[in-house]
Amino acid sequence: MSETTAFLTPKPEPTPNLLARLANNPVLRKELRGIMRGQRSFWLLTGYVTVLSAFIFLLYITFSVETGFAQADPQFRQTVGKSVFGGVVLIELILISFIAPALTAGAITSEREHQTFDLLRTTLLSARALVFGKLTTALTYLLLLMLSALPIQSLAFLLGGVGMAELLISGLLLFVTALFFAALGLFFSSLLRRTLASTVSTYAAIVISYIALGFALFVAISVSGIATNDQVAELIMTVSLWVMICTNPLLAAIVSEVILIEDQSLWYTTSMSGALNLPLPSPWIPFTLLYFAAAIVLILLSIHFVRRPSRI
Amino acid sequence: MTTVVEIQNLSKRFGRRAAVDNISLSIEQGEIFGLVGPNGAGKTTTMRMLVTLLQPDKGEIHVGGHSVQKNPRAVRRIIGYMPDSFGVYGDMTTQEYLDFFGACYQIEPAKRAALIDDLLELVELSHRRNDMVDTLSTGLKQRLGLARVLIHDPEVLVLDEPASGLDPRARVEIRELLREIARLGKTILFSSHILADVAQLCTRVAILENGQLAAVGSLEQLNASLIPHRTLQIGLLKTIDPQQARLTLATLPGIVDARPLEGLQDSTRIAFEADFDGDDLALHALLQEMLARGLPLVQLSEDTQTLEEVFLRATKGIVS
Repeated sequence: MSETTAFLTPKPEPTPNLLARLANNPVLRKELRGIMRGQRSFWLLTGYVTVLSAFIFLLYITFSVETGFAQADPQFRQTVGKSVFGGVVLIELILISFIAPALTAGAITSEREHQTFDLLRTTLLSARALVFGKLTTALTYLLLLMLSALPIQSLAFLLGGVGMAELLISGLLLFVTALFFAALGLFFSSLLRRTLASTVSTYAAIVISYIALGFALFVAISVSGIATNDQVAELIMTVSLWVMICTNPLLAAIVSEVILIEDQSLWYTTSMSGALNLPLPSPWIPFTLLYFAAAIVLILLSIHFVRRPSRI
Repeated sequence: MTTVVEIQNLSKRFGRRAAVDNISLSIEQGEIFGLVGPNGAGKTTTMRMLVTLLQPDKGEIHVGGHSVQKNPRAVRRIIGYMPDSFGVYGDMTTQEYLDFFGACYQIEPAKRAALIDDLLELVELSHRRNDMVDTLSTGLKQRLGLARVLIHDPEVLVLDEPASGLDPRARVEIRELLREIARLGKTILFSSHILADVAQLCTRVAILENGQLAAVGSLEQLNASLIPHRTLQIGLLKTIDPQQARLTLATLPGIVDARPLEGLQDSTRIAFEADFDGDDLALHALLQEMLARGLPLVQLSEDTQTLEEVFLRATKGIVS
């Protein structure tokens, strides 16, 4: 090998802290700028708030027609408050489950399709910075959506019946759901070459996972049905049902709220395991841990796929 | 001269097809090195391996002393790449576009602003700094692409068909820009189907065909090895019979073959193209002999061998 000229020796790279790296992530800044400049974000936000407002309006009308709020006792108003809060959270969970992957399923594939991916890969931008930039952009926008729902949710606080525990748990569930579904979209976007294939695969994975869980429950019921021991059968049923609840954001939210109301417990319940009297963790705990861990795995895989050299 | 790019025994297969087959070449600092070849010859694949986008199956590439396979990040610091077709971020202004890539190359914000000003001036896009990138024409986008590859002040530029799809004026502008960039001391490797551009710009040329290196060298070296004779254009007044003129020319010292040149004939003259074997002294002697024999000579010029002829002689016309 011929002599190396000194000026071709690259300077050592600085190592700023994590927060500084995120704040200075060029992809994050570019994507946020782009997302807020476009019309899509405005219409998405408007649609999101409209759906939530429509739901609350209907709920409010229903209750006021049935009872008339002026005469409603505090207990009833608290129930209404809980319903408003719970309804908003459930609708948010549904919307975020669909919006989050839509924000990330084209994150990497669109760069390939628009022929900008190679330009990025030949810079000093690492695969990790690219993936985190895209993910953080999606999460930032989703956070904006969640914050935009706060004024609507605040109606529940006016009516009462909603405490800090519900607020924190619902926030955590929403965040982890958003994180997981965004990571899922990013995973397929880094794995596949086309946005259409990535989007279809992401939503198919979501649907299949719900169907698969339902099928697993059906299998569990069948297995428990042929178990000779009643206790074993009940154990199989209870565990299968609990797994299904803890892996579904809507069910996890609903059942966690039920446990909070009926068992007055944030952390566990024994009343749902029937005669077994088995202490089961409140679904929000395993749900959060599982979805968070799964999101981390998906993010790491995304980085791996983005980092790999091109095939052509 | 320092070798900046060294490619040794480079090979790459896609399935059963050898896209690049045992190529070895080196590029010296400050050179403008041309890569030519028919479609599928392996030019783009070679470039993509050089800029760390593809892993070679065999062989080694070193840029500025750094191995592309072992230390790709160090290579990316000193290389700027412009693919043959690339997208732009339409939702950004020209300035934001360069600022983004400056950030991707970890250039400090304070330095970026001044750098962008200089680059926009170099590529003559200062007046379009606040315009959205997707409002630029193809030629202006190409200029913006050149500004982008220079943002981190790389030592080596790798440009895949930089003049592709441009109108003649835009091509001339790109060519002038590349000359200007070369004057800044950069080493440039570029591929092109437009042989005239390659011939005008390049200090050396490599001709690829079917993944293999068919020829490499300066235009003069390639001429000497592939086209052994000099080509002369001879114009005579129509006062002489064309057949007789041809026979006379063929007997002149140094003339290997003479043939009529239809394109340069007119009402007053006949034109011939002749293969000449000799140096300038022999050429002077030829001129004297022609005049001594009374040939009605009105033109004697040498046809500078085009890269097109070199290319046609170096390749067999095999297209992958």
